[in-house]
Amino acid sequence: MNAATVPLLEVTGLVKRYGGVVAIDHVDLQLWPGTITGVIGPNGAGKSTLIGMIGGAVTPSAGVIRLAGRDISRRPASERARAGIGRTYQIPRPFLDMTVAENLEVAQYSIAPFIGAGLAKTERLNLLQLTGLLDVAEVPARALPLLKRKRLEVARALALKPRVLLLDEVGAGLIDSEVTELIALIQAVADPHVAIIIVEHVLRVVRACCARSMVLNFGKKLIEGPTAEILAHDEVASVYLGTGGARQSVQAAPKDEAAAPQQGLNLLSWLIAPKPPEAASRPLLELQGICAGYGQARVLKDINLQVQQGEAIAILGANGAGKTTLARTITGAIAPTAGVLRIAGDDAAGRAAHEISGLGIAHCMEGRRIFPTLSVRENLLVAARQVDHATAQQRLAAVYELFPILAERAAQGGTSLSGGQQQMLAIGRALMARPRLVIFDEVSLGLAPIIMDRLYEALATLKAAGMTLIIIEQDVDRALALADRVYVLEHGTFGLVGDPRDIADDPRLRHIYIGTAD
Amino acid sequence: MKQHRLIGDVGILAGGFALLWFAPSFASDYALQISFRVMIYLTLAESWNLLTGSVGLVSLGTASFVGLGSYVAFGLANHFGTPLPVILMICALAGALLATVVSPALFRLRGVYFTVGTLALAALLQLLMVNLPTFGGASGIFLKHDPPPLPSLYHYALSVALVTALAMAICARTRISVIIRAVRDDEDAAAQMGVRPYRVKLGAFALASALIAMAGAVQAINLGAIEPYGTFGLQWTIDTLSMVIIGGIGWRLGPLAGVLFVVALGEMLANYPEAHIAITGVILIVLIRFAPSGIVGLLTRLFTRPRRLSSP
Repeated sequence: MNAATVPLLEVTGLVKRYGGVVAIDHVDLQLWPGTITGVIGPNGAGKSTLIGMIGGAVTPSAGVIRLAGRDISRRPASERARAGIGRTYQIPRPFLDMTVAENLEVAQYSIAPFIGAGLAKTERLNLLQLTGLLDVAEVPARALPLLKRKRLEVARALALKPRVLLLDEVGAGLIDSEVTELIALIQAVADPHVAIIIVEHVLRVVRACCARSMVLNFGKKLIEGPTAEILAHDEVASVYLGTGGARQSVQAAPKDEAAAPQQGLNLLSWLIAPKPPEAASRPLLELQGICAGYGQARVLKDINLQVQQGEAIAILGANGAGKTTLARTITGAIAPTAGVLRIAGDDAAGRAAHEISGLGIAHCMEGRRIFPTLSVRENLLVAARQVDHATAQQRLAAVYELFPILAERAAQGGTSLSGGQQQMLAIGRALMARPRLVIFDEVSLGLAPIIMDRLYEALATLKAAGMTLIIIEQDVDRALALADRVYVLEHGTFGLVGDPRDIADDPRLRHIYIGTAD
Repeated sequence: MKQHRLIGDVGILAGGFALLWFAPSFASDYALQISFRVMIYLTLAESWNLLTGSVGLVSLGTASFVGLGSYVAFGLANHFGTPLPVILMICALAGALLATVVSPALFRLRGVYFTVGTLALAALLQLLMVNLPTFGGASGIFLKHDPPPLPSLYHYALSVALVTALAMAICARTRISVIIRAVRDDEDAAAQMGVRPYRVKLGAFALASALIAMAGAVQAINLGAIEPYGTFGLQWTIDTLSMVIIGGIGWRLGPLAGVLFVVALGEMLANYPEAHIAITGVILIVLIRFAPSGIVGLLTRLFTRPRRLSSP
């Protein structure tokens, strides 16, 4: 083999244009066996497009991709997978009606149709063990929560026995102890014969796993080199890292896709429901002894929560602690099995989601849920269809004022936006109903640090204008910076409640988030 | 584990086949004629269920391959006196060949466009036959020799149905099953797993077409005369898909349940043909509204805990 002289994967002059937009602009990349390379950059920089082109899902407009010296630029995805390129999807795409084990069988039997059943099973169990999915092997993929689906993506890619492994944001949404597990997993997978690319916003993963990294910005390679040097680089800080969630004022942003909301927004009142006269006396939202769950599984136990008009509440907790279930209970997606749920004094327990939405509770859902066939403008207007045209237009103008980029992209398809822009759209859509209270569920998930800064600035602007907020978040520092009060969920109950300053120093928060492993 | 299930299926099929083989010695001609129809429809329905229920290719081209089988069979029988078993094999090859030839154009179309494409194929072949005097034109062709006696034809139909059922058992009970379902659920993700969606779809399309062509051949020989409007008629397509939908699309026993139900209903209402069509239509509407997974899906939901057998 000429492994020493030819890179395992060599990308030369790769270009991808979508109409007039250049998503990837002459990117070069060389991967050698036994290396792990990090790819970082703002949302919309073209990272997933790059992964798509190497994996074969996206056809390059120009450029050459060579696997061990062989040109694979025009080979279909299936042939590349068979040649040893395994990729994960940023948004997991498991075969939903199959069990987890069957999902792996697809990869196993497609590359080796006549592999012995016993051997295939052993390999499968090893992979499931490695990725922590052994206990759900016979569960349909549809029943898996997002994080397990991400693990399944990794397991499926590994089932191909890849020579090049492309991991697209597998760390998004993980809390610190889970990130530690992920790093251990990647290090366990690393092999002297395998090259790995990690596209990731969780910088701890990049720091721990990748000796070298490259930064993409506007489809171009900004810089490439040893990871430590890259992350210390000034230019990288200005286009990507931002403040990294540190509690300090954010400098005026460079004019980019995530242009910051301007000061002194005057249209915001169109988006924020006026305070009712009795607002001072009654809490806007009140939960007493709420229990809820799915079928047999009781997720929430005896939850008590009060949100006053104009407050910002942060709800923190590990994955699986019940944060999203709590949001779904408040918004009526699931009915509580016990307890009292009052919205501005009205009993709302067991009411349907649309009725609760009618009471002024908006939910900016985890995973954004943008309608792909609607344009940006239509996505926004869907949430304001019960008001007259003029009012809807005013609200639209107010959302555009908050997020000017959405005005620029108004006619584009909702899912053609970058991740950060989609999240802005999701927030804007939640505001279009002019709610009294908005629940933001994991708005920073999978976003570049600098985009998170922008989103949190927008949330701060909303709060300053009098909006009542519930923020469900993994990013502790950002949530603590914004919130008036913090609730920490632990195994379905509030383990810790209090002022953000006290909570930040509480060793129990550290214990819940960091775990004992770190 | 999978192998055991396959062996179980083959055992049941072999047992059923052996029992039914001796039906002519005690059944009346009427019963035999009905059984013949059941076997033909079963082959069509199983094939369509494989394509649509398992692979996700919604085809309205059943009639193309019924017609193809009929014409090839008559051509061979009239001009070369070919024995029926050989005719059936050649018809299967012709069906697979036609499927392969049209697939580059059809598979370029996804979703509803594929469906319209298959419909156009049947219309095209029908027009071709009407306008080509070599194939008898609009008036069709008669079989020159006497067809084999009914018990013998019944045995051929039964054999074709057995071959079909075995093919379906292999598709459902071996590792091919996960590959097929992967292509149906998410073609792009399947490709990223190394599955070649084009080959999987072509394989299923060719297999289904070969089986349908064989059924078409046996059916045509039984009739003794063919003409383009009947053999390439939309009726074959509609009958097949309504049987599968009534029985339960995507379920292994769906085609069998649907065929038995519709054929039995047809016999009960044999003296009122208009009522038959109307009642079938009403049943179809009611089922789609209240039990979209058909008779089998409904029974499964009623009598067991929900569990979907998503392969044929």
